[in-house]
Amino acid sequence: MTLKPRTISELQKLLPRSRGVDAVSLDAVADLIEHVPGDMTATVQAGMRLADFQTRLAKAGQWLPVDPPNPETVTLGGLLAANLNGPRRFGCGTIRDWLIGLAVVLPDGRLIRNGGRVVKNVAGFDLCRLFVGARDTLGIVVEASFKLLPLPEAETRLAKPCESLGQAGELLDKIWASGLQPTVLDLHRIAGGPHTLVVGFAGPSADVEAQSGTANALGFAEGASLDYDASFRRVSPHFTAVAPGNLVSTLRTLNGESYVARAGNGVIYHASAESPQLPSPDLQKRVKEMFDPEGVLPG
Amino acid sequence: MKSKADKKNLTRRLAEIVGDDAVLTDEQELVVYECDAYTLQKNLPTAVVLPKSAREVAAIVRLCAELGLPIIPRGAGTSLSGAVLAVDGGVMIALTRMNRVLNVDPRNRRALVEAGCVNAWITRDAEKYGLFYAPDPSSQPACTIGGNIATNSGGPHTLKNGVTTNHVLGYEMVLPDGTVEWLGVEPDGGEEVGGYDLRGAGIGSEGMFGVVTRVLVRLTKTPPAFKTFLGVFDSVDQASQAVSDIIAAGIVPAALEMMDQLITQALEEAYQFGFPLDAGAVLIVELDGLAKGVEQQAKRVDEICRQNNASEVRLAKDATERAALWKCRKRAFGAIGRLSPNYVTQDGVVPRSKLPEIMRFIRSVSEKYELRIPNVFHAGDGNIHPLILYDERDPAQVTRALQAGDDILGKCIELGGSVTGEHGIGAEKIDFMSRQFSVDDLDAMQQLRRVFDPEKRCNPHKMFPGAKRCAEFAQKKQVAA
Repeated sequence: MTLKPRTISELQKLLPRSRGVDAVSLDAVADLIEHVPGDMTATVQAGMRLADFQTRLAKAGQWLPVDPPNPETVTLGGLLAANLNGPRRFGCGTIRDWLIGLAVVLPDGRLIRNGGRVVKNVAGFDLCRLFVGARDTLGIVVEASFKLLPLPEAETRLAKPCESLGQAGELLDKIWASGLQPTVLDLHRIAGGPHTLVVGFAGPSADVEAQSGTANALGFAEGASLDYDASFRRVSPHFTAVAPGNLVSTLRTLNGESYVARAGNGVIYHASAESPQLPSPDLQKRVKEMFDPEGVLPG
Repeated sequence: MKSKADKKNLTRRLAEIVGDDAVLTDEQELVVYECDAYTLQKNLPTAVVLPKSAREVAAIVRLCAELGLPIIPRGAGTSLSGAVLAVDGGVMIALTRMNRVLNVDPRNRRALVEAGCVNAWITRDAEKYGLFYAPDPSSQPACTIGGNIATNSGGPHTLKNGVTTNHVLGYEMVLPDGTVEWLGVEPDGGEEVGGYDLRGAGIGSEGMFGVVTRVLVRLTKTPPAFKTFLGVFDSVDQASQAVSDIIAAGIVPAALEMMDQLITQALEEAYQFGFPLDAGAVLIVELDGLAKGVEQQAKRVDEICRQNNASEVRLAKDATERAALWKCRKRAFGAIGRLSPNYVTQDGVVPRSKLPEIMRFIRSVSEKYELRIPNVFHAGDGNIHPLILYDERDPAQVTRALQAGDDILGKCIELGGSVTGEHGIGAEKIDFMSRQFSVDDLDAMQQLRRVFDPEKRCNPHKMFPGAKRCAEFAQKKQVAA
């Protein structure tokens, strides 16, 4: 069953009367509530598409620093529920790092707020982090406030196809130990192609230029695209996560399988990834029972 | 504890776990633990125990569960909100003997430390690899990483680097029933963890979810270039406008700190840094990053300060001068001891654009209650720290100081901010919770608490309205009301 409330208060009425809701579409709850460029913050309803939100923020030269696949269709609610992110994760972190406040409709219909609209705030427990990645199982996020960043003055991406995984590993170690501060640090191999390293730099133009020069000297060529991420993850959303230092040794075990890896974070997307064991299963279960005892929302 | 026999039994059983030298029950020894850096309320714990391992912590916690006793985790006791006050007695678990840096892992940019490890020790051990631990509360030479998790601590450099929750990957916690859980990223694991973010939920929980024993932190690459400016302005309004203009220029400095005249005068008297004594406000702007970009931004910041009528823009000439400046800034609270026998450090937040308004309001509060209120604050974050000066020997002044703090925090809420940016609610700010949050908001927080601590035995009587107070404080509040 998919709920399609026209307003937040309608969702508040619908939820407690429902059981086993599969999804909630918030297409009708999609307004930008506030963007205060001087505060570098914005508050937005959860149904707004990420790309639309970014367009509005860009008018004042700012952005929400996340880049998940398919921003034209992903809503902010969807982004938060699934904790989505993309290649710039290495430099920008995840949406948990940028979220400062939430409004959530709980399964019993209560509308609660946590955090706020200011960038620093430790009043009360942090439910914001808990709801990110909770996949709509504890409550439905209807509004969120974010910290923002100025759009970088310059941005560039470079790639280097490697002869072997061993060469990619050596190069990765070099970058790791160098003075380079990439915002993107990806390694991928798609459909039998070469193991390809991708680095991205963003920031003041002088820095981007200088870093690109250093990357050129390591054999990287400008003009790389990040399109591989969205197209690959559409078919292989599953991942294996390892400490970044164990990335290459883990990739060796894939036996030629295609992959896209966030090399700086140790996250490898590939088709045969098995879902990881759930940590602290008792606590996880208690969280669900505490917030959704009647099983209104998906398990 | 109902009887002397009960207390004797408790002492004996605690000693069986940790040894005689790690249990304190004499009043003379306990008095050290009667409060933290928030001194308006004091009470003795029933016992203080100093474990050396997570296993000992778990055994202590299980014993307390069996006896139905409150447990109060404690780091260095630098909390400014009474977060580690034993309101109704109980067993205080002090983590100060679990203070080792266990492992610095430069390849993965991580460090594994014990909960009682002092914040500054992590950077001390990591800097040889060109890495540092980013959150830098002013108390960092003393405060512990476990305490930082409890309050989700910030510091002057949070504007660019973020706070504790952005830098703690995972941690081990002994839950109030004695079970041990690792929450978040494991020391040898990847950064993506399945299920609910229990790690994030526990950061900022003010010691109410369990006792943190080991912590995995993220280390950050030390930027190769720094530029630290001192901008001298006639007024706080001018300095605030410079802050807004820097942000509007698309520059995110590593730190943007403001100090008003009373603070700079006190600092100058204490440390002779060379602050101008006649300036209405001093702004510290620190830029970090790669050399060319920092150079480019530094020019812009210099221009912006001058456009806003800075009478002087001084650049720290080298690393030593930069270190001296920060040392001075971080010891600002200490210097206030020269101005007044007592002071309350307040901690409120407003949207950055409301800084001039809240500063004007604080001036009016200062006049209304006839109390001096110097200000030193994180301007970039909108996180203010008015220091309300009073003399506790004059009961009327105590009352006025409490009222002044109340007025200022009320105004922070009115301006869309928060009553705490980094110090926490603790025992101090309980009354503000129902002003900032609805009953349902608070209920949802209590639901999360019950996941971890259904019996509400872990650091009880904190954060939520209706909590018990120390007897002596109830009287003071009555006078104030």
